[in-house]
Order: sequence, then structure tokens, then C-alpha cells
Amino acid sequence: MIRYRYDGTTEGLISAIDHILRHEPDPQTVELEVQEQTLFDEGLFIAANSDRTDVLLRRFSSAFPESARQVMYVILSEKEGMETSLLHYIHMVSVYGSRIEAHRTHPAVHDVHVLARKVSREIHRMKGLLRFAMLEDGSYLAKMEPDFNIIQPLSRFFTQRLRTQQWFIYDVKRSLVSHWKGRKLDFGTLESFRAPELSDEEKDVQKLWKTFFRNVAIPERKNPGLQRSFMPMKYWKYLVEKT
Amino acid sequence: MDVLDKLEILSGSARYDASCASSGSSRGGGGEGTLGSTSKGGICHSWSDDGRCISLLKVLYSNDCSYDCVYCVNRRSNPHPRTSFTVHELVELTIRFYRRNYIEGLFLSSAVMQSPESTMESMVEVIRKLRVEESFAGYIHMKVIPGCSEDLVRKAGFYADRLSVNIELPSGDSLKLLAPQKQREDILKPMACLGDAIIASRKERKKNRKAPAFSPAGQSTQMIIGASPESDFRILSLSQGLYKQMHLKRVYYSAFVPVNSDNLLPVHAKPPLQREHRLYQADWLLRNYGFTADEILSEESPFLDEHLDPKASWALRNPGFFPVDVNRDGYFALLRVPGIGVTSAKRIVAARRFAVITPEGLKNIGVVMKRARYFITCSGRPVERLFDRPALVRRKLLIAETGKDPRALKQRQLDFFSNK
Repeated sequence: MIRYRYDGTTEGLISAIDHILRHEPDPQTVELEVQEQTLFDEGLFIAANSDRTDVLLRRFSSAFPESARQVMYVILSEKEGMETSLLHYIHMVSVYGSRIEAHRTHPAVHDVHVLARKVSREIHRMKGLLRFAMLEDGSYLAKMEPDFNIIQPLSRFFTQRLRTQQWFIYDVKRSLVSHWKGRKLDFGTLESFRAPELSDEEKDVQKLWKTFFRNVAIPERKNPGLQRSFMPMKYWKYLVEKT
Repeated sequence: MDVLDKLEILSGSARYDASCASSGSSRGGGGEGTLGSTSKGGICHSWSDDGRCISLLKVLYSNDCSYDCVYCVNRRSNPHPRTSFTVHELVELTIRFYRRNYIEGLFLSSAVMQSPESTMESMVEVIRKLRVEESFAGYIHMKVIPGCSEDLVRKAGFYADRLSVNIELPSGDSLKLLAPQKQREDILKPMACLGDAIIASRKERKKNRKAPAFSPAGQSTQMIIGASPESDFRILSLSQGLYKQMHLKRVYYSAFVPVNSDNLLPVHAKPPLQREHRLYQADWLLRNYGFTADEILSEESPFLDEHLDPKASWALRNPGFFPVDVNRDGYFALLRVPGIGVTSAKRIVAARRFAVITPEGLKNIGVVMKRARYFITCSGRPVERLFDRPALVRRKLLIAETGKDPRALKQRQLDFFSNK
């Protein structure tokens, strides 16, 4: 096994994969990991080259949009130790192109698919489970603590859906925030969070929603296990109907 | 009465409607200045305490019913409080919920107030206002009130994503007995009319992309299971007819929950949920797996097996069809194997063009091996050599499903009695 190291950033990862694909005769025998701060860390370090990564990413996603999405989801998963699988996966895509789907049984393709699926499932789930609350100034705020770093794709979805109102989405765990002002979507990090006042209308509407939620269930069919399997308790913290 | 009280009553009366799907509409976003979008696959926003998905604000416009259907919670002779929303209240409620991402849109049904026509008029006014005055581009599913005019149905179809007429009971006789004011003709006529209009609009839109879409997510219906004596075979044959002749998107089955006591109704300790579940499985086989109703059931054995899913039951009755070879046999043969669904069958067909598929590979593809293993070979090599012993396979499938051995259980019970 040949070992390579990178700095742990997304740019660094893409640069390293690019380097390996261009210089190694058989990338399937290469391992890629984050550089450790120890004396004995072996392996060739590849520095990030952010100018080139932009071009590479754009080219990759226009040639293989579906595979690019899978790669993006794996990166958003923030799961450690996926670099080697990603390297092997992207190598496979460079060889087989969009026929990669047929190589599901290859271990790297399998790992990437399984993880990407988990991320895409959470994005889909949060499209439904995110709850906005109306603030005093008429804008809306939604808080969440997702397992994966999904604020970007999720926010893009809501620019389509709730395009006529101002809103913030706040990832409490990662201190990330997105802001939609009706035309433009901004991302940022949050140093401190001051809980804003809710509007008067908000309390009434939340009460209405709780009433609806309670009454729409058929008492004779009560099934809390089924409810939890679709809507795991980790999401309940920010659900109006469950607090 | 304020909106909160009304919502309490009118959501409580709407909960027996099974449909809550927000899928099938491909309108996407409504464009600049409009509120909302639809998602092709549908989105669930919550799950209620009975484990059912909440996607739409499911309410009745009114529960003030002039009919007296025996199975229905809103029948005239029930001493419930009666109320109706105003158009404005319902529009405002929908928009407020939608802006907070509580819902995917509105599911609007109603009791029949003075007449089907006037009831339908108010309902159409709600969705017209949502679409035209509030620029609402979210999902709308509306029930057609049987007996209203075709004009109103046509009008509704251009505002709603999906229209549906509830068939309520699987046969005309049961309808006559349990819902004496409803005529089967009144139900089937708007269904046929909807079907024609949907197909006409699709054709029109092929020629002209800008032509208005009529009920783009198609039509569905619902029937109540267990309030009347029809067999599963009868029910499935009816569904099959509705899919084939009326081009319905979905038939929903609603396990009968006794909300009234009446001599005409059967007495169940619990709603027949397992039966409902098996019917849905069989319905899936009709729509997506190329099965026909008389393959799944027959006059001689007209009820589905409660313990085993209908596809496995079919496989056990037809041992001659198996084994299916995952590296050679066609897509439709693969679809008939228990444990192989539409997705995994497609993946198998794609994957085997490049490499021979092994049992390990099948697992990665997503095949449920605990069911499929008894019915397949990989390039001639069986995974488990039991094709000619359906009784044994049945037992193994039941163990895989429940974790319990049905025979061991019986044995223990016998021992228990013999010791006494």
C-alpha cells in the first residue's frame, strides 16, 4: 500500500485525489488519510490547491452529476476515514463513467453509496421536519441539530419553497446559519446566539398545530413504536408538536 | 366558535380518510412571487401517534352532514357538535401552517351540507382563493362530493393537484345497506369524468406545454375494509378494474374503526389492521410487479394469508416457477422472487452486464436474502436447495419474519396441555 496524506480540508482532499489519479499507475492500491501531528506519521503530503479544486469540481459535476452528488454527500457526512473509499470511488468513475451504478458490489462504491444514502435521507427528512417560527420582525427562524452537515442543500431547497418570506436556518450543533432575504442566500457562522422574541401570531399558530396533531391520530390505532421508527426521538427537540 | 375549536372538531372528523400522499405532482415550484412548491416523491412532515404520516392539513370543510351512513363518524344521527369553516379561515390556516413548514399543502374533504352542489361550491372557493389570491403553489388534494355538477368538478381540477372520489364500500349492495343516500352511480360517474378529463389534459399538454394541467397528480379513491362482508379477492379485483379502466393512481384501504354502534355493522375487537396491511402489499403487486388479482387470490381461496405476505404465498403455491437465476432470467421473472423489489431487480439487470452476481453481491445490491435465498440460483448454483419443499420453506420464512418457530410454539402448547 502506498500512503498519501492531506490537510483535512475539502480542498486538500480534492487536490490529493487529483494528484494521485494523475501520478499513480494503480490508484486502487493507494491509501489516503488526514495528516496526523505525530513524529512517525508516514506518507506523502499533498498540499491544497484551491484554484485548481474549483475547476476540477465543476468539471466533475458537469460530466457525472449523479456521482458528484454522491461525493458531495459523503463529504457533508463529516465521517472520518472515508478518504480512501472516496479516492477509489472517483477512480472508478473516471474509468467507468456513469456506468458506475453497475459496480455496486465493489467495496468502495458500496461504502460511498451507503453513506451518501444516509445523508440524502436526512436531507429529505429535514425537508419535512424543519419547523420555522415567526419572529417579532416578521422573519422566520428554524433551528436544527442534524447528524450531518446538511445546511447548504437544505437551505437551497427552502429558497424555492419559502421564497416569499425572510428566513434563517440555524444549525445549533455546528453554529452555522443561513439567511434568505428574498433574493439572495447567505451562509455564515454564528459566534453568539441571542434568542429572538417570537411574534404574537406564532403562539396561536403553534397551539393550532398542536391541536391538529393531537386530533388527526386515530386513538384505536395508537402505535408509538411505528411513530418513533419514522420520526426518531433525536429530532423531537425542535418539533412544535412534540414539545 | 373560534378557529381552534373548529379545527379540533374538523380534523378529528377527517382522520378516517387514509390518503395523505403529497406525491405525483411534477409542477415543481410556482415561480417568482408564489408561495410553495411540490415535490415529485412527496414529503412527510410529521407522524401522528398512530404512526401514520402527516403530509397535508387534513380537514373537513364541514361535518354538518345531511346523510346517515352507518359506518361514518359524521352521520346525521350522531349527537356530535357540528361546525363549518369559513373560506377565509381555512385559507389563512393553510397559509400559516405552510409558511412554518408544518405541511405540504391541504387535503380538503367535507360532509354533505344542504346539497352536494353547494358544499362543493364552498370547497372550490377555498382552493380557488388559495391559488389565485394567495398565489399558493403547494399541494392540494380535494375530494369530489358525489352528486355535484360536472362544471364544478372541472373547475376544481384546474386548481387541485389531485382529485378523488371515495368509493367507500367494495360493492353496490353494501353501499345500499350502509350508505342509503349514496348511489353507486353518483360515485362512478364523476370518477369516469375525472379519468377522461385527466387523459384529455395530458394529451393537450403534450401538444402545448402551456395548456393548464387538470389534476396533474391523477385521481385516487378509498374503500373501507371490514365494515361489509366482501372478500379480499373481490376487493382486489375491484382495485384492478379501477387501475386498468379508470386509470387511478392509488386505491387506499382503510381498516374499519367502529365509531358508531349499529346493528348493521360487524363487531370487531380491534380494527383489522393486519388485513389492511396485506391488502396494501397485494395492491403493490398489482401496480408495480405485474401481478393480476386472480394470480394472488381465487374464488376458492378468496382471503389473503395473514401470516405471510402475498408475494411469498404466491411463490409457495407456484414452485414450478422457481428457481429464478439472477444471472440469466429476465426482469419480470426477478420481480416475482420474494425479497427482490423493483429497485433491486433493476440493479441486478444493470450489474450483471459487467460481472457475474454472487450471493454476497446480491446482499450489497439490497436483496433481502432471508426471503430470496429459497427461490434463486446464481449461475445455476442454488443458495439453498429447498425448491421442491414449499411447506418447509414456508416455515423458514415465518421464522425469518417473526423470529418464532410456529411449529415449536404449537409443540409447547401441546406439551402444556398433556402435562395437565
